Amino acid sequence: MSKAKKLFTNTRVIIMIVCLLLAIAAIHPRFIDGVAVRSVTTNSSALLAGIQSPKATIAPTGREVITTVGTTPIKTVSDYNAAVSGLIPGSTLVIETNKNTYRLTVKPKYQVTVLPELENVTVKEVREVNATINGSIQLVNRTFNTTIERNKTIAKLVGAEDIGLKVFDAPTNNLRKGLDLQGGTRVLLEPERKITSDESSIIIENMKQRLNVYGLSDVLVTEASDLSGNKYFLVEVAGANEEEVKELLAKQGKFEASIKDSVVFRGGGDITYVCRTPDCSGIDSRVGCGQNTDGKWSCRFRFSISLKPDAAQKQADATKDLAVILYDKTGTLLPEEDQYLNETIDFYLDNVKVDSLNIGKDLKGKAVTDIQISGGGTGTTEQAAVNDALTSMKRLQTILITGSLPVKISIVKTDVISPVLGKGFLQNTLLICLIAVIVVATILGIRYRRMQITLQLMVNMVSELLMMLGVAALIGWNIDLAAIAGIIVAIGTGVNDVVVITDEILAGGTKDEPAALTWREKIKRAFFIVVGSYLTIVVAMVPLYFAGAGLLKGFAITTIIGATLGILITRPAFAAIAEILLKD
Amino acid sequence: MVEYESSKSRRRKEIKQMLQQQKQAGPAEAGAGTAAPATTHNKETGKHSHRPSTILGKAKKFYENHYKKMLILTIGLLIIAMLLIGIKVATTGDFINKGTSLKGGTTITFENAPDIDILKLMNDIKAEFPKQDLNVRELSATGAQLGIIIDTDVTSTEDIDAVINFVKEKLPESERGYSIETMGGSLGSSFFKQVLLAMVIAFCFMSIVVFMLFKTFVPSSAVIICAFADIVETIAVVNLLGMKISTAGIAAFLMLIGYSVDTDILLTTHIVKRKEGTIVDRTFTAMKTGLLMTFTTIGAVTAGLIFSESDVIRQIMTILLIGLIFDILNTWIQNATILMIYENRKENKAKDE
Repeated sequence: MSKAKKLFTNTRVIIMIVCLLLAIAAIHPRFIDGVAVRSVTTNSSALLAGIQSPKATIAPTGREVITTVGTTPIKTVSDYNAAVSGLIPGSTLVIETNKNTYRLTVKPKYQVTVLPELENVTVKEVREVNATINGSIQLVNRTFNTTIERNKTIAKLVGAEDIGLKVFDAPTNNLRKGLDLQGGTRVLLEPERKITSDESSIIIENMKQRLNVYGLSDVLVTEASDLSGNKYFLVEVAGANEEEVKELLAKQGKFEASIKDSVVFRGGGDITYVCRTPDCSGIDSRVGCGQNTDGKWSCRFRFSISLKPDAAQKQADATKDLAVILYDKTGTLLPEEDQYLNETIDFYLDNVKVDSLNIGKDLKGKAVTDIQISGGGTGTTEQAAVNDALTSMKRLQTILITGSLPVKISIVKTDVISPVLGKGFLQNTLLICLIAVIVVATILGIRYRRMQITLQLMVNMVSELLMMLGVAALIGWNIDLAAIAGIIVAIGTGVNDVVVITDEILAGGTKDEPAALTWREKIKRAFFIVVGSYLTIVVAMVPLYFAGAGLLKGFAITTIIGATLGILITRPAFAAIAEILLKD
Repeated sequence: MVEYESSKSRRRKEIKQMLQQQKQAGPAEAGAGTAAPATTHNKETGKHSHRPSTILGKAKKFYENHYKKMLILTIGLLIIAMLLIGIKVATTGDFINKGTSLKGGTTITFENAPDIDILKLMNDIKAEFPKQDLNVRELSATGAQLGIIIDTDVTSTEDIDAVINFVKEKLPESERGYSIETMGGSLGSSFFKQVLLAMVIAFCFMSIVVFMLFKTFVPSSAVIICAFADIVETIAVVNLLGMKISTAGIAAFLMLIGYSVDTDILLTTHIVKRKEGTIVDRTFTAMKTGLLMTFTTIGAVTAGLIFSESDVIRQIMTILLIGLIFDILNTWIQNATILMIYENRKENKAKDE
């Protein structure tokens, strides 16, 4: 059997090749021009045109890539910036992405000044009314002209509003560059006292929600802890500057519920309790889920909250003059318990409307402290609708708990890395790795004087690097400074092990001591040392994983993953290749 | 397996031969305490292997004759290092110079400011902010100034912004990009305690693994003492250099444990677990492999140290480089000597029976 054939039929070599291919598939390298969407601002023309804000957890190559703005092809961020500057308000802007084509209407930007004088203005209002069509009573939308009194304002056109996209150069692979490599802000927050895991998930949910409302969807909020059981929260915002995030986290997260523009209760102080247990929250069993005429499913959820008496009174005042809607959209009479008022209760988070809900009829004019809040979710299947409804419910519950955060949180550490430094750091790291590989190869070349061993070592190092990056891409691990340090340790140990294996293989055959061992025994001897040092590295890294607010967690986990891949895949393959190539 | 057994049995024959030779040499030598037989045995094994008069041969000879004296060198180093650290603790209360990320404070890096005069800036900035504990350092790679690093003890946004704006005014428009790292004082100190605790636990775990591998007290302890000495001596030198340790520096000490134990396991396996050749031969076989391992690592680390533009990476590399140099001494002199004494005694005991 030829050596090549032996190589490619060896199980260990095949396993390594398969793992390498999987790693490359996970990294998903590609050549692409354009800019990827980082986030879409709430209420922006981009969002209205249907461009979706991606989740922070999406794979980098899964992000939408803008290729053309108007007639300009987009290759870099500066192309994009040039293309979206100086747009004419009211004009239509066509944005082409790798997934879709969007038509945006450029919004005008006004500077509005409110004057003290009042004026009467006539506004068009769309209301649902009962009308008799073809002999049956139906609910239809009608436009009414209403006259309202308000402050005079002067609006001055100052140009076009930003279309609301935050972009970055399209990623060419699935590796997530950590903040150290791409720039951004990292904030570590510490609660004032020890918190339970329930409290901590509320806080994380809350922060994400809060940040999302601000249009920062590319945000990672994670819990970190240390060996004493203290909990921390780590917020990472890619690409955003410091002011943006610090302002966000320093803000209270003001929550308001209003009926017809008057605030009835606020988050925190006015809400004494939000039910999150199954006995008083969940899918509304009375209504359940149903299929709509368009084939989509919709579900209703409900949960109860408790208000302070004075907030309840405010709600009573706000609802006492409202009308009751008796019929649903198809014109059928609603059962008594499902009838609702003609004004909705709107929830605002930091002055941005986040939800709008119907008010049950029986709440009209009553100062009840325990109220039911309901809403809906839709989906293409019943299960999807249930999930959507439950997600909405959780979000809403979270919003209502906002402000009444279980504990005060303070910023204990911030890192702001400028994107320029990040980019430079990445290039510098690659340069160092290249030089280090050359140095190591030269030293081994001088020692062994066999091209084969040096080449094998290079293959070994590159395979280990690829596999580690593959795993990082697969589990969505960020490649940051700590991870790079871990990769260096793992590859360094890899080189050490390769030296041990090579020396064991080449050992013996001296005058005094003829090569007395079989290949199997040589490999066995080498692996005793290799496994021994692997075990010590792993156990030394385990405590670090749990210590110090997770600041060195990345280092620990990358080292462990790298060393494990090495011992399970590349080392056995190295020994097998060495045996095939060096034997006789 | 068969061949291995045969080498073992050959070794047994060798010992038998030696025993016979010793009996012939007379009982006076064999019974002259525990230290004396060790030298006797070395003479024997020295005769046994026909050593060429090369540098390697001479080195082996030197090792055989003087290894106990060399032990004094490494023990002396460890004692001096511990004394230095003791003095450091007595005078400052800490055993290392804590950087801003360990004691709380802010590090501001202007990564692209190659022309600014650091000394002048330091004076200006200290005059402007007399209440802050400020320091301006150079950010450099391959010897050239890339930018500046400002360390200060303040953590509030207003204070930091004031410093940044002050420096910005002194820089041309294109050089105003900066990065900030702020660590709150309480987190800094709790982080430090945490990582120390993690290191102690890591050390204990590592010791358990080593004991499980070798199942004997002296060789296992030697490995652990070696790792301990590496760390202590590195800390002493890092202190002498005046380096301020950051969170990443702590990680470097952990990396050091890993690299240190690697070569020790190699050495111990060769000396304690294997029986072919003399102890010194086995030590030198291990040393050939081990030094190559350490030199490749030192090569890679030096490349990082010279070319890195990151302050953090440079610190990691500096600590590793110092630690690896000490590891050469601690592994191939201290640990090797301890194991040689141990093995010689063991073999003599076998002979006495």
